[in-house]
Amino acid sequence: MSAPVTVGDGAFEPSIVAFVCNWCTYTGADLAGTSRILMADNVRIIRLPCTGRIDTLFILKAFERGADGVIVSGCHPADCHYTAGNYHARRRFAIFRELMNFVGIDPRRVTFSWVSASEGGKWAEVVNGTTEQVRQLGPFAMYPEA
Amino acid sequence: MSTKRILSRANLDALIRDLIAAGTVVVAPTHSSGQERTGVTYGQVQSPDEVLLDGPQPIRPLKEVVFPPTEALFRWRQEKSAVKIEEVPTGFKETVVIGARPCDAAGLEVVDCVMGWDFRDELWFGRRQATTVLAMACTTCDESCFCTAVGLSPTSTRGADWFLTPVDGGFEVDVLTPKGEAVLERYKARCPETEGPAPSRTAGLEQQVRANLDVRPDRIRGWLETHFDDPLWKRVALRCHGCGACAFVCPSCHCFDIVDEPDGADSGTRRRNWDSCQTALFTLHGSGHNPRKDQTARFRQRIMHKFSIYPARFGEVLCTGCGRCVRVCAAGMDLVSILAEIDRAAQGGAET
Amino acid sequence: MQELRELARKLLQEKQVSAILGYEHGRMGTRPAFVTDVADCERLVFDHRCVQNLAAYLSPRRTHVAALGRLAVVVKSCDARAVAGLIRESQIKREDVVLIGVRCGGVVRDPADARPLSADNVAPRCVDCEKREPTLADHLVGEPKPAPAGSGSRDARLSEIEAMSPDERLTLWMELLAPCTRCHACRQVCPMCFCERCIAEKTQPTWIETSPHARGNLAWHLTRALHLAGRCVDCGECERACPAEIPLGLLNRKVARVVADRYGYVVADDPSKPTPIGTYQLDDAQEFIQ
Repeated sequence: MSAPVTVGDGAFEPSIVAFVCNWCTYTGADLAGTSRILMADNVRIIRLPCTGRIDTLFILKAFERGADGVIVSGCHPADCHYTAGNYHARRRFAIFRELMNFVGIDPRRVTFSWVSASEGGKWAEVVNGTTEQVRQLGPFAMYPEA
Repeated sequence: MSTKRILSRANLDALIRDLIAAGTVVVAPTHSSGQERTGVTYGQVQSPDEVLLDGPQPIRPLKEVVFPPTEALFRWRQEKSAVKIEEVPTGFKETVVIGARPCDAAGLEVVDCVMGWDFRDELWFGRRQATTVLAMACTTCDESCFCTAVGLSPTSTRGADWFLTPVDGGFEVDVLTPKGEAVLERYKARCPETEGPAPSRTAGLEQQVRANLDVRPDRIRGWLETHFDDPLWKRVALRCHGCGACAFVCPSCHCFDIVDEPDGADSGTRRRNWDSCQTALFTLHGSGHNPRKDQTARFRQRIMHKFSIYPARFGEVLCTGCGRCVRVCAAGMDLVSILAEIDRAAQGGAET
Repeated sequence: MQELRELARKLLQEKQVSAILGYEHGRMGTRPAFVTDVADCERLVFDHRCVQNLAAYLSPRRTHVAALGRLAVVVKSCDARAVAGLIRESQIKREDVVLIGVRCGGVVRDPADARPLSADNVAPRCVDCEKREPTLADHLVGEPKPAPAGSGSRDARLSEIEAMSPDERLTLWMELLAPCTRCHACRQVCPMCFCERCIAEKTQPTWIETSPHARGNLAWHLTRALHLAGRCVDCGECERACPAEIPLGLLNRKVARVVADRYGYVVADDPSKPTPIGTYQLDDAQEFIQ
């Protein structure tokens, strides 16, 4: 597994993976960019058609492969491009989050959000907030070497 | 070249301490940790207090010591068009097992046949070489034990480098192999030679085990060779869940799956993991065809491999009668009853 | 028991079914029994040692069982919940199976336990059981039985774990899952794990590593617990079948609690009751979402 990323002065920089839906959050993130809003550059975005497509295994896999934090974001309820994808996702995420917490994966490492296509500012907040939170928590050292 | 010696419990404890101090990995039956687990297992111990020599049979087989449930075979890394293979460190730590059950020790020898057959499994033999087995005669048995039915017994010394027999005051020690001699040389002071026999505490156990199952493996093999399509298989396999728990607790099951686990686009580890013929996936072809398409075929395969095919190839029954499969089976398959039924049928007795 | 045997004989004689799936006393305790002959119905028993959940055998994946034809299955109320689940999820049709409901006073933990039922050996789930006879049944046999003696909430251990810090929980679970050898007995005995191709068997990509190391084991057990959310019937077979003594029930009970607290859903033997994961409400709680 990759060692924690550090920069110049040896400070820990978290690696964060974001699973976002194409229609709302991805477009919102794009807006944040074109609006030249300053954001932490720790986040790698993975675009899915819908939060309904986001299997909880994606979150686990991200942690397995070295992510220190994960963002999951999509359309607000009632705005899903596929009508109900985010409703199904909402239940799934709610349960998995509590299950993860139960086995000791700190829920503060995973941020869930609804960010619409026009909420560039909100996306920046989610990115910056999550990055800072995970920076405080430190590297994710969950699995001993397999 | 066996020499009888007496090892008092105090000296055994001291021997264990000596071994640990010398950096040897000491494995023995020990209590599982945590409130959720009550079974005894073979585990690495850090002190003689953790060793349980008169408890029930460990719920996991000794084969774990020489054949871990998962082990890395090599790591790869791709650099441009070249692939570098890095052998996983293959130095094996010197290990001494104290208190191995005869059925577990014998299992190691039985599996040696296939591991050294058409391809010498260096990982298996490397660990075998580094492991000294101090087996101990059983002082307890239950209704699942049937070692006597497969040519073994509660006092069988197969696979043992030392054999310890509980006596008043400690253990009578039989040093049986050069490896055992080597250990004795280093710790001779702990096992003084002694005059005169001491009473044995294991009398009567063999009879108890024989009462569980009294069959002849050669008769069973004969029946298996001629009853591939017998209705017995369909009937008996109905309740089998195909879970494979039996294979995973068996001292002689040794099948494994090889997987590649990438940890990036250009590097990863190849591993081998325990596997079981009881799963549908075991014989599933890439085409989608499965020669063992249901549990009837898979369960039949298990029995035939153990009691007919392996004996035909290597002259050994692939079973040591430890009884774990009987104890662990959630569906109550009960190999003892099945073998009894086959043996009866082989004698032309009750219809199958 | 005679009532059960007579009913079984009748069902076979009238060719309503080809086989009865019930329990018998084996050498090592009570176990599932498949009876196809009227004369063999004498083997059928029902008592406090009938632990196994027979609904597991109804999955169409078990072609060797399906080949027997139409079955009559003996079901306790917990088992009937699993049958309801299979019907609900279109694995079997209600009319394809005859359900012989039994009135149950609780069962022991270990089918080989020959002692009478008492607070010492009763299965913990039976102490909490609210309905000791199934609603989903074609026939109902046996005398009504009192609730089994026993005390202590099963969820005491859950609360203990919840009170730990995240690091303590992680250390605990890594230790609890370490002896897992990935035999998948938990999956095989579960009536609700009927997928033709389990996600743990998928490659390209491999979502759940099959190796019994820390990564693979955690991914497997978390995924199975999640896939059973709202579907696990709390029969306890997974935990009983596990050769490594892993307290799987803790994960399933936790998820069941989350589902009950958040969505007011408790598994029942009513096939028409929709499962909480396949459904949603517009106003589902989302306090954890920014």
